[in-house]
Amino acid sequence: MYVEAILVFLGEALIAIGVFFDIIASIGMLRLPDFYSRIHALTVGTIGGAVVPLIGVALLALGAPFLGVYRLYLAGAAIITAILLLMLAPTGTHVIARAAYRSGAAKPLYISIDELATKSEGRGGEKR
Amino acid sequence: MTGLVALLLCLIMGVISLIATYLAIVERDLLKALLFSAVQSTAYAFIYYSLAAPDIVLVYIPVAVGLYPLLLLIVIKKTERYERP
Amino acid sequence: MDLSTQITYFISAVIPLYFIAFILYFVRILRGPTIPDIVIAIDALGYDLAVFLAVLAILFKSPLLIPCPIVLALWIYALDIYVAKYLEAREIGA
Repeated sequence: MYVEAILVFLGEALIAIGVFFDIIASIGMLRLPDFYSRIHALTVGTIGGAVVPLIGVALLALGAPFLGVYRLYLAGAAIITAILLLMLAPTGTHVIARAAYRSGAAKPLYISIDELATKSEGRGGEKR
Repeated sequence: MTGLVALLLCLIMGVISLIATYLAIVERDLLKALLFSAVQSTAYAFIYYSLAAPDIVLVYIPVAVGLYPLLLLIVIKKTERYERP
Repeated sequence: MDLSTQITYFISAVIPLYFIAFILYFVRILRGPTIPDIVIAIDALGYDLAVFLAVLAILFKSPLLIPCPIVLALWIYALDIYVAKYLEAREIGA
């Protein structure tokens, strides 16, 4: 009884933290000035707003006996989704940022020194 | 109670998919039109989910978010990106 | 208070906040000046929608709805890879 109440409380707390991070990330995605700043908002919305509440959903499902036996299935699938997102989301962000830099699709506005522009693989894709 | 909540969520997502479909039709840059089409597919997947049809979601997401933008990207790469006015 | 009704009230309070986040992401998709802006906004929208589907599976009290977030997260990532490969190398497929 007490174990179920503790699990439900922990799950609700993690989901509340995730909703907070979602609101912060959406406001940041709307207000930040250029593409390379909005990547920060994407990271907040992915790790803080998607991985953490999925673990919260798993704990909440483990502590809710009215869902039946299939609540174990729900908890396991939520944990698997969290692990997949923890691996996939930084990879996707890195890939799209590298493509945007090397193809020149998004110009960095607030930059004082650009080390990569002097290297062999510079901006604009001039080697292709 | 939950049925009413599901219909309300369907209404909001339907408005989002309607706006995305209109922008995909009138957009001149075909790559942006493809991304708006992906947004519309995601909204439709949510509508199918909240109408309690998870088997249709499991088929609709790989087709409409995965394979259809891949085919359209191959076609855009073969031809040209901007639509002529 | 019963445990079931407490969970139902909590999730019912959480749903409008998720929809505020979705609408703000959608405004960024509409206003995004370049292609990578739209792509990262679609990424954030898809990942948060996957979490929201997992939360709704508890609200509807039907745990068999849960395979949908895995599929959604995986294919939104695939869309990311396609657009990045088109932008960078301008070669995709054959």
